[in-house]
Amino acid sequence: MTMTDNKIGGSTEELVVEAGEAQRNRRPSRMNRVGDHLRREWQLYLLLLPTILWLLIFLYKPMYGLQIAFKDYSVFRGVAGSPWVGLEHFYTLFENDQFIRALRNTIYISLLGLVFGFPMPIILALMFNEVVNQLFKKTAQTIVYLPHFISSVIIAGIVITAFSPSAGIVNTVMGWFGLNPIYFLTKAEWFRPIFVGTGIWQEAGFQSIVYLAAIAGISPTLYESAVVDGATRFQMMWKITLPMILPTIIIMLIIRIGNMLEVSFEMIILLYQPATYETADVVNTFIYRQGIQGGQYDLAAAAGLFNAFVAFVLVMTANTISKRYSRTSLW
Amino acid sequence: MSGVRLDKIVKSYGAVQVVHGIDLEIKDKEFVVLVGPSGCGKSTTLRMIAGLEEISDGSLTIDDRVVNRVAPKDRDVAMVFQNYALYPHLNVADNIAFGLRIRKESKDAIKASVDEVGAILGLTPYLERRPSDLSGGQRQRVAMGRAIVRRPKVFLFDEPLSNLDAKLRTQMRAEIKRLHKRLEATSIYVTHDQVEAMTLADKIVVMQDGRIEQIGTPMELFLNPANAFVAGFLGAPPMNMINAVVAKGENGPIASFDGQTLPLPALPDLQNAEGRPIIVGIRPEYANIVTAPQPGSVNCTLNLVETLGSEALLHATVGDDQFVIRTETLGKIDQLDHVNGFTVDPTLIRIFDAKTGKALGGQTRVA
Amino acid sequence: MTVLRKREETMRKFTLASVIMATTALTTPAFADDHLKIVDEPLELTIHLHWPRQQGYNENFPVEKAAREMTGIYLKDATAGRNSTDSMEAMNLLIAQGNMPDIVGGHRIRQPVNQYGPEGAFLPLNDLVAEHAPHIQAFWDAHPELQQAITAYDGNYYYIPYLPDGMFGRAWYVRQDWLDKLGLEQPQNVDELHDVLVAFRDGDPNGNGRKDEVPFFAREWEEVIRLVTLWDARSTGSDTFHDFYVTDDGKVVHPYAQDGYRDAMSHIAEWYAEGLIDAEIFTRGSSARDYLLSENLGGMTHDWFASTSGYNAALKDKVEGFDFKPFLPPASVSGVRMEEHRRTPLKPDGWAISYMNEHPVETIKYFDFWFTEEGRNLSNFGVEGETWDMIDGEPIFKPEVLNSDKPVNTQMYEVGAQIYRGYWMDYRYEWQWTDEDAREGIKLYEANDLLVDQFLGVSFNEEEQSVYDKYWPSLYTYMLERQQAWILGSGDIEADWDSYIQTLDKMGYSQVIEVMNSAYQRQYDE
Repeated sequence: MTMTDNKIGGSTEELVVEAGEAQRNRRPSRMNRVGDHLRREWQLYLLLLPTILWLLIFLYKPMYGLQIAFKDYSVFRGVAGSPWVGLEHFYTLFENDQFIRALRNTIYISLLGLVFGFPMPIILALMFNEVVNQLFKKTAQTIVYLPHFISSVIIAGIVITAFSPSAGIVNTVMGWFGLNPIYFLTKAEWFRPIFVGTGIWQEAGFQSIVYLAAIAGISPTLYESAVVDGATRFQMMWKITLPMILPTIIIMLIIRIGNMLEVSFEMIILLYQPATYETADVVNTFIYRQGIQGGQYDLAAAAGLFNAFVAFVLVMTANTISKRYSRTSLW
Repeated sequence: MSGVRLDKIVKSYGAVQVVHGIDLEIKDKEFVVLVGPSGCGKSTTLRMIAGLEEISDGSLTIDDRVVNRVAPKDRDVAMVFQNYALYPHLNVADNIAFGLRIRKESKDAIKASVDEVGAILGLTPYLERRPSDLSGGQRQRVAMGRAIVRRPKVFLFDEPLSNLDAKLRTQMRAEIKRLHKRLEATSIYVTHDQVEAMTLADKIVVMQDGRIEQIGTPMELFLNPANAFVAGFLGAPPMNMINAVVAKGENGPIASFDGQTLPLPALPDLQNAEGRPIIVGIRPEYANIVTAPQPGSVNCTLNLVETLGSEALLHATVGDDQFVIRTETLGKIDQLDHVNGFTVDPTLIRIFDAKTGKALGGQTRVA
Repeated sequence: MTVLRKREETMRKFTLASVIMATTALTTPAFADDHLKIVDEPLELTIHLHWPRQQGYNENFPVEKAAREMTGIYLKDATAGRNSTDSMEAMNLLIAQGNMPDIVGGHRIRQPVNQYGPEGAFLPLNDLVAEHAPHIQAFWDAHPELQQAITAYDGNYYYIPYLPDGMFGRAWYVRQDWLDKLGLEQPQNVDELHDVLVAFRDGDPNGNGRKDEVPFFAREWEEVIRLVTLWDARSTGSDTFHDFYVTDDGKVVHPYAQDGYRDAMSHIAEWYAEGLIDAEIFTRGSSARDYLLSENLGGMTHDWFASTSGYNAALKDKVEGFDFKPFLPPASVSGVRMEEHRRTPLKPDGWAISYMNEHPVETIKYFDFWFTEEGRNLSNFGVEGETWDMIDGEPIFKPEVLNSDKPVNTQMYEVGAQIYRGYWMDYRYEWQWTDEDAREGIKLYEANDLLVDQFLGVSFNEEEQSVYDKYWPSLYTYMLERQQAWILGSGDIEADWDSYIQTLDKMGYSQVIEVMNSAYQRQYDE
């Protein structure tokens, strides 16, 4: 009996001692581990440092300034010195019919851009992939990439000229078919098609590069196997190429949805007219007119913050949906 | 009748010829293995048969029809690729059904075929899975399923097992063999692994540098390699090669090397050929170990003994040449470390011309 | 210690500058006497001067060197936001960074100065000027309304503005050769104007057999709105488009909320529909005048005297018989000839003294220097003997300046004259290089009583500003939207008017007018 007791007592004591030792050892050992780790991997951290600094300085530090969305901001008093006003600027925004209209237009234009603009680079990439003649392919690619490198001001000039009622190519062609000229850029109903079309013309080619790269990554044996199985080129495009670049497409889609509300604002400024505000005025142009031109930085910050918030919700939603249904996601 | 005939098939890329006029007759239901080191043109030849590479010259006949200009899909061939070529976005059933869907077969027929093939390959439980959720062997089976389901005249295999580990490879090898027996389809199989070639083939085609070195059944090639290359390529470990010259012995020609002699078979080519440089080929299995010099034995220096269980590999040198002996361990285990020579039945020795590598003399008697 | 060092450095630089100046002293005898010296010891003041043409003050301007010699004060450049051409942005950057130079000046400083002056960023100038700047004070005494105009809501004023001289800016221009060809006279009233435009449209004055003439065009589409003056309405109250104006009974209103505007706009819409106004007026942009004149398509416009007259010389060889002449504004339906646009007597540009300035008295004296005769000549014409000479008591540009390939104004900018300091422009500067056609036009306009009073703007207090900021941008947007719609015919102003006015009220028009008027009364009623 006693023997057993002793034995049990002894082992308990041992356990306690062991646990204590472990406790004592763990702290310094964890510290040591971090130290060892840093000592071993410092080169990696050094490489990481510029990016972290960049993020801190250019992305995180400016976030401090976001608070002016909740303040009555005066440049002279500074961010810290300006008094808080709570959600006043947000109330102001949502009481403003023009902000609501701008929000509606932003979403509408973005959706149109998404529906028509998003598939275009994919279609282009698929088409380029089918071109056999290398010279033709290179030439065609250069031509469609080109507008991306032209400044928006020039692009807008080209668009304005092309749609001019007197000398524009569009109205000239319409004239051949006996149609009356239309002053497109003052017609609210034409703004969205023209804007979205311009965006596609400008960016589709360049955006197709991503998809071309994804296509280049597909193993050629998949096609060879399909060839032996008797697939036509179209079937291969539809049943192999497209599904294989689907993850890329989804990632691009999520990114695009995240940027959805960032409608190309300088292009709108260049193309819109008071006559087309009804369909053309977006949140960013609204901010520009109301905030920057009018000097209301606090209100502009509030509108921008709201925009960012909506974009955040959109991208999170898109990511979650994608993760659930296609196993592809950004994070 | 689903025979395949290659008639002076040539492949060139621009000015560079990589396959130099191959003649090959493959009979219906035959399992032919093209084997050779990498770059020997075996894959190119297979791809020409599949229609994935254009044939530069010569003619390819499948089923008595010249198909040089026929599109791959109309050649009625199916191919299994080295990296399986499975579509990651489709599940197993859809992968198998891919070729049938392309051919717009009816849904019911597709389902029946897929189920049947799934059953044949033991894939029935996995039909709903994506390739990424399968093991290497299962993927390989799916790849074969894709070929089988189409019931083609000719199966083409392009190193289908080389991405598998050794154990799986052995297992799949057996499965392919079984499958062939069951389907009885003409098969052309490319590999660089001589074991696969030996085990699977009805007929082996050994290739080197865009040319066929020898065609024959595995045993023919094993026993009567047409040249030193084939001899060295087939068999594991490969045939030992000892550089020697012909000398005159008491009972006929002998090989002289390293101050030793070895009686040679009485081949016509060796009569009155004293001084002719030759290569004496002895398969590791045919050398019998000795621990003390005997009449007719060759002395060697033992460097290393690899014991593999039932057998052992003895790495030795004869003169300047490496020499490997493969021997049973049963009852000999104590002797192994003391081996200092070997004997060999002269009829099992292969003699090659030192210059051309061509085999001299007749056939090895098959016991 | 640092002050001493700075002083020494200042001295050294100054000596160097004196040496340079001394070499040219022979040709510039005016520098010899010291009656304009403000300080005995050279004094350095830092300056922020930002304007679209140049971001920063060039310490090597000949004008700066001359001013240095005369006053003993020299300016050291400390301009913020050089990487942007937006002066408002630069100003915000300067204020936000906290460390302000002694003098803050440049383009569009009025609003920030009047906002941040009362908050303490700039010194009020009333007393300083009254005590130390007799020439500026004399100017205010002669033009009290201008002092009122720059006064901030707290009753002080915080900057010395750039004060343009001369009266007329824009004028009506017509293709006299087209009139002659069609046997027409310059239109003297609305109906004649309509007839001329119709004739331009239908009579093929350019003789190419096609009906491609654009009767009335403009570089800025807002000039079309200006046509409302022909029906006794207003398009703006100042040299800025779409601005408020002051009614005869002293109330500030916006032109686009007046009944007269409704009637006038319906006529403009008709003219547009008839094809008398450039169909592409809204998108043609700044190249409209260049394009339509050089292609022999445009018949009439309303634009600046100087630049528009220049086309006669430029297109002499390109368009046969080209003769683009200014003519008097046609009389309105009620018989009034009005040139709504005039040069503003007051710009939102100029300079101010920051609260960190330790030498306000010297600085205001320096500001005053530019209002002395010598200072004014220097700021307008450059350095005497270099770009101009005094002939019969008149500053006259040297022939090589007038005949240079470079425009005179560009030459002035390069030497540091006519830049955005607080100075009083001398119209003789511009007159000397205005071409003959334009001079005649200006004389013609001067001979008639065409001008209307200008609305010089108000300074809001904080509450007024917040009301204005809350409502005005949206109102403005809405007014312009409707305006274009009416001209383009996608709305009928007569039918829409009541709901338009109701919408303006709902959007806070009356609140804006209320703060406008309260600020106006505070500022302009004694």
